[in-house]
Amino acid sequence: MRADMLSTILNELNGSSADIEASAIISTDGLTMASALPEGFDEDRVGAMSAAMLSLGDRTASELGRGTLDQVLIKGESGYVLMAYAGSESVLTILAKTNAKLGLIFLDVKRAAEQVANLI
Amino acid sequence: MSETQDFEALTRYAKAFTGLTPEREACLLEVSEQLQPLLATVTDKFYEQLGHIPETAPFLEGRVDTLKKSHLAWIQSLFTGPFDISCTELMYKVGDIHVKVHLPVEFMAGAMSMINNELILLVIEQFADDQEKMALVLTSINSITSFSLFVMQQSYQESTVAEELDKFLRISGMSRVLFTNLANAYSD
Repeated sequence: MRADMLSTILNELNGSSADIEASAIISTDGLTMASALPEGFDEDRVGAMSAAMLSLGDRTASELGRGTLDQVLIKGESGYVLMAYAGSESVLTILAKTNAKLGLIFLDVKRAAEQVANLI
Repeated sequence: MSETQDFEALTRYAKAFTGLTPEREACLLEVSEQLQPLLATVTDKFYEQLGHIPETAPFLEGRVDTLKKSHLAWIQSLFTGPFDISCTELMYKVGDIHVKVHLPVEFMAGAMSMINNELILLVIEQFADDQEKMALVLTSINSITSFSLFVMQQSYQESTVAEELDKFLRISGMSRVLFTNLANAYSD
């Protein structure tokens, strides 16, 4: 039931912007709870890598005096990876296109993360 | 000490590499009575030689008498056995301790070389009249000291990796479970 609701949140998120190519909700231990990933993506790797990056981001923000972590953004040649906490025990990760409108995506991800946090 | 280590397998592995055969084990036990009274000299000479190496000083300062006691007990055990899993567990623990006190890895091989040199001289002196016996005693001693070094190095390597992983997890803030899940995701 909760898995279905998480999937619904992800599908709505992916549908909110053509720039979002994939999304997943992951436990802070790196296990995927729900995902809407294109074919060819390894769910386990996306999950574990996202949680690891967020953990490292958390630590970096703290060590370098940037306070509580809000999100981790990675920009690559082929697009973006955005990770944000969805509550204290889960992570929301999205993959976005290279020309994505980041302002809108930040907003959509924040809303979705709040929905996930309330659900979990 | 590692909770996951298969000490039976490690014992077999180390014996296979170092040639610690039942015949050589029997030889060590047989010459024990003759060599035991002379082993304290080996320990004394060992620490005397260590005293000439500046790099070892920080590890010896104020501890030589205690270290000598442990060393002598170990060197005596080379001739009393048992040459079984308990011997492997002990040497594994020694390797682990060496990592915890940050002893440089080369100290183990270097120290074993010094000990072997002293034991060789001792055996030549004791068995000069019996070349065949001397050869067997020398190869047996080489086997048991190599066995000890083999196990210690195995332990040292594993303890070093474990310590480095702990440090990485502490720095990165990653939990051990997350690290395991990450490793599993990339296991193939």
